[in-house]
Amino acid sequence: MNTGPLIVQSDKTLLLEIDHEQAAECRKAIAPFAELERSPEHVHTYRLTPLGLWNARAAGHDAEQVVDTLLTYSRYAVPHSLLVDVAETMARYGRLRLEKHPVHGLVLASNDRPVLEEVLRAKKIAGMLGNRIDDDTVAVHASERGNLKQALLKLGWPAEDFAGYVDGEAHAIALDETEWHLRDYQRQAADSFWHGGSGVVVLPCGAGKTLVGAAAMAHAQATTLILVTNTVSARQWKDELVRRTSLTEDEIGEYSGTVKEIRPVTIATYQVMTTKRGGAYRHLELLDARDWGLIVYDEVHLLPAPIFRMTANLQARRRIGLTATLVREDGREGDVFSLIGPKRFDAPWKDIEAQGWIAPADCVEVRVTLPTPERLVYAVAEPEERYRLASCTHEKIQVVRDLVAAHSDQPTLVIGQYIDQLDELAEKLDAPVIKGETPVKERQRLFEAFRSGEIGLLVVSKVANFSIDLPSAEVAIQVSGSFGSRQEEAQRLGRLLRPKEDGKTAHFYTIVSRDTVDADFAQNRQRFLAEQGYAYRIVDAEDLPA
Amino acid sequence: MATKDDAGFRTLADQLRSWSDERVARLLTARPDLTTPAPHDFGQLASRAAVRASLSRALDTLTRLELFVLDALVVAGQTTAADVRSIILADAAAVDATLGRLVDLALVWHTRDGGLRVLSGVADALATGPGASGLRPRSADAPAPDVVAARLAEVSPAARAMLEHVVDAGGEATGGSARITVLPEDAATPAEELIARRLLVPRTGGGLLVAPGEVGLALRGGRTTTEPVDVVPPIAVTERSAALVDRTAAGAAFEIVRQVELLLDHWGAHPPHVLRSGGLGVRDLKAATSLLAVDEQRAALVVETASVAGLLGHRADADGNSVWVPTDAFDAWIAEAPAARWATLVRAWLESPRLPGLVGTRDPAGKTWNALAPELASYAMAEARAGTLQALASLPPGRVLAAATGLPSLVEQVAWHRPRRPRSRSQQVAWAMSEAAAFGVVGLDGLASYARVLVAGEDPVPALAVLLPEPVDHVLIQADLTAVAPGPLEAALARQLQLVADVESRGGATVYRFTPGSVRRALDVGWTAVEVHRFLGDVSRTPVPQPLTYLVDDTVRTFGTVRVGHAEAFLRADDESALSELLHHPQARGLGLRRIAPTVLISTIPVEVLLPRLRDLGVAPVVESPDGTVQVLRPDVLRARTPKDRGPSLRSVRGSARVASVVAAIRSGDRVAAARPTTPATPLTPSGALAALREAIEARVTVLIGYVDNQGVSSERVVDPRTIEGGSLQAYDHRADDVRAFAVHRITTVRPLSSPA
Repeated sequence: MNTGPLIVQSDKTLLLEIDHEQAAECRKAIAPFAELERSPEHVHTYRLTPLGLWNARAAGHDAEQVVDTLLTYSRYAVPHSLLVDVAETMARYGRLRLEKHPVHGLVLASNDRPVLEEVLRAKKIAGMLGNRIDDDTVAVHASERGNLKQALLKLGWPAEDFAGYVDGEAHAIALDETEWHLRDYQRQAADSFWHGGSGVVVLPCGAGKTLVGAAAMAHAQATTLILVTNTVSARQWKDELVRRTSLTEDEIGEYSGTVKEIRPVTIATYQVMTTKRGGAYRHLELLDARDWGLIVYDEVHLLPAPIFRMTANLQARRRIGLTATLVREDGREGDVFSLIGPKRFDAPWKDIEAQGWIAPADCVEVRVTLPTPERLVYAVAEPEERYRLASCTHEKIQVVRDLVAAHSDQPTLVIGQYIDQLDELAEKLDAPVIKGETPVKERQRLFEAFRSGEIGLLVVSKVANFSIDLPSAEVAIQVSGSFGSRQEEAQRLGRLLRPKEDGKTAHFYTIVSRDTVDADFAQNRQRFLAEQGYAYRIVDAEDLPA
Repeated sequence: MATKDDAGFRTLADQLRSWSDERVARLLTARPDLTTPAPHDFGQLASRAAVRASLSRALDTLTRLELFVLDALVVAGQTTAADVRSIILADAAAVDATLGRLVDLALVWHTRDGGLRVLSGVADALATGPGASGLRPRSADAPAPDVVAARLAEVSPAARAMLEHVVDAGGEATGGSARITVLPEDAATPAEELIARRLLVPRTGGGLLVAPGEVGLALRGGRTTTEPVDVVPPIAVTERSAALVDRTAAGAAFEIVRQVELLLDHWGAHPPHVLRSGGLGVRDLKAATSLLAVDEQRAALVVETASVAGLLGHRADADGNSVWVPTDAFDAWIAEAPAARWATLVRAWLESPRLPGLVGTRDPAGKTWNALAPELASYAMAEARAGTLQALASLPPGRVLAAATGLPSLVEQVAWHRPRRPRSRSQQVAWAMSEAAAFGVVGLDGLASYARVLVAGEDPVPALAVLLPEPVDHVLIQADLTAVAPGPLEAALARQLQLVADVESRGGATVYRFTPGSVRRALDVGWTAVEVHRFLGDVSRTPVPQPLTYLVDDTVRTFGTVRVGHAEAFLRADDESALSELLHHPQARGLGLRRIAPTVLISTIPVEVLLPRLRDLGVAPVVESPDGTVQVLRPDVLRARTPKDRGPSLRSVRGSARVASVVAAIRSGDRVAAARPTTPATPLTPSGALAALREAIEARVTVLIGYVDNQGVSSERVVDPRTIEGGSLQAYDHRADDVRAFAVHRITTVRPLSSPA
């Protein structure tokens, strides 16, 4: 009987026992083709998906390697059907190739004629293709490069794109590494992206994705369009680029609701790109305003659907996606794969934490009991009102006060969903509050003050969820959230995970009302945390050390 | 060959009569159709053995060599063993052994002049299938082979080509305009050349020309075939480490046992309906595929195997509809070790005529085949499986089928052993292979070592048991509220764990998830918080994470907050707000709830309906019995009776007992025929019969009585009368080999046997 660390289940999950002596090497071996699904303390779960296997193919692994890895590390016999399935799935990638033909321009080519015939007969594909050039080659309308890749993926025959990229307008960009150095994994990520052409780099929050983007720009040496989630994040990108690269403030433009600058490096928000007026996207011209050599997508997992459609037309330009997770709540992982590119780099949270690049966290869920009058109100409330009632109970305010007092000397964030609750908290705690209506200038001032240590306590709404760097935060207290989204949990925890100077542990509190929908939603979040390997505790509010 | 056979016999019946009982029994075992109904005597046995249907069945069990030996006998006509040897292109010893077997099967018998004779129907039966040379029988006045050869040498190449064509096409041709009375020197056409030399012989009437057997033999160099007929086609193989084959196969073996258990366990609580046509619905099969995470073919195999192994049966559910449920044998099966469970399944599969490979395909009428449909069976399937495994077992360990050529060569070898099997054989062999792979009988297209033991008829369990994963007695519990069992759990432990946690992923390992619902389920069947905690602490190898402890305590805290009574259907809780919540719940309207006290609600609907709906609403009620104690509910699990089939061993015991009694019956019938009185029978009155019988009792002689039985069928029996009492004769019946009672008024004739039997 074998004694490997891996158990291969017939439902295509792989269980890795991490206390096993071979666990580390096994994890390295399976990481290229298996998606890490959860990583609690003893047994990590990976899943084999077609996308994962195709990602591995794109990275140059073949089915034999995958099968061999599974057989080598597996403790029990590997289900035969699974091995067959792996081989078949992997063989599907690259049967079709998009190539540049010297005469006919963009073509779809294949050595496997039956596959080509099958694809040509698909209704969805018909409009995207031109004339048949020979038995194995068919012309493709240049404008349909992205749509075709999307459609082929849906048919289960993902095409490998060898058609190359336009160089774009040259623009000198260099990293300015006088005061800092690119970390090894950041360099590897940028290099593997560049060799792969286009693709997605997966790094945990706080692992320095911005710098990977900057390194990619330094590779490209061309005008760059950067798409980010919101204005604050756009400003942060700009500051970071000015600080870390040879770019000056004048070379970087911001294209948002308020400012519309087009410069060699332009940072645009998703929101402005997807704004419609009179039924048409008004700001599409930006995409053609310059001959961009590189397009950077920040937070790919949040990419809104219209951006996908626009991206379909940008297939001739190099694209890099940056994200903490490939999991999308809307399940459009396939579009990311076909339009932006396969995964080019991936490093698990825990590894980076172990290297000291992100801070360890202590997660605690505090349960409060609704006082009887509030419970009665809750009990008779309409379902849509219940969550608000449960999460905004006044019981929580006292708990927040206690917690803030307990961590009085540490920079603390209080995060919530409901403005009324935040306002009340801000008042009771005597702390500034940042919410949607806070002007961007004011927000930046407060964030800056928090960063510099001027303010030790900040109450923030969900505007702070994404891409705002608050490295000094050591304690976060979550009083309400948007219905238990895993995304949100990752982002909020990310706020805390920037490394602390003295390697201190971050604290992450979630306050939850017992026996209500609040507790139900909280369960989703906990599960996410535990699956990421963060041990968490549940305590009753009464048991909190005052 | 037994030496006394060489003396020869007048008829086949005589030869059979001369055989020992044991040899007759062997014949009846090999050709079981001869025993039903039991023949009266050897004459009838011999004539039944020559019936076309019976012959055809017998031929179906012959190998290619045996068929060609028979064929040679047909070509040669009545002849000697030496002659047969000389015209077959095969090893002489093999031919002799084959002849012996054909005699044993009563397809060939020894004539008085020392020759061998094939039953007359064999020629016709052979002609309709493979395994025949296509030559005509030799003519009675056949010239010596060298004469024929000399004549052949004389003809023109065109004539020879024509003759070869005629022989290969079945030995018959139309004469056309050829003259049929012509001398060799006058022959004008190739046909006439052949006719003149009697290489083609005109058949009287119809203008047909026939190439006699001796001509065909001469053309093929004196043999019935140009290819040797005793060469078994080899199987294309490649090398694979036997250990790897065993490992892969054992993995599959473990998997199928687990799948059968999982599916039947599920069906015990949620049985699918039996279709009116007797099968399992497509939707239910689909549900099974998703439950087992396998494809449809595999699910069908699991279902069919469970059924033939007697683990799945049907019974009526509460509404009177017929449903598929596990049998009580399932409970015994599940208690066995995995290897023993596997053996039960595989033995059933080997014997089964079922065709799970067809499930999901369409029959000729375009209707989809359902799993468990009664028609989904073929008598040839069990034989195809046995043949396939036998062929694989002939390979040495470490050799497996070659990647592309292996399967076709396997089909060819199976075809050699049973040439007359149906055209779908290649498909059946392919099914047998894929099913065998699913069962872990083969792995990587090679026979596993323990399966070799099974094919040899011995017990595979010890050999398999060492290859299966050891059961584990612990789990790893993690903070995300999952528990991972890193191997198959001990059965009792697995059942307990399944109660407190939901299964998330199955396979070599099992992943369980704890939820408030699953913990509540354990509380529902009577566990206490202390028991749950102790259980978790005992089974977990790692410390129980705090969130799980909290979850259990939290569930216990809310568990039983609401109590429901039988008599009045009341809901009572110490917690007023919980009741208000329930009362105001929008989905609680249909429950007819009314508050009768701050802590008590009543309901107008019966408890059975109320309870699940309350649980749906998220309350965790417990039921109170009339004396106020908490009542424990356990979900009902359904079982059916095991079907009556008692397994192959008992069948074979019964089979041999039956064969013995048939032999006795034939013997007695034969005695009757031999000793039949020559005087014609005169019908007797009952009093005349009484007198004659009494006389026979006194004289202690054996008599032949005419008897009309309950159905009005009249027959003759040989009996030794013992006593007569109250109009009933007690007599020893030779045919039944026992003492029987006969009603005197039904005895029509009584005649003493002419000579003592």
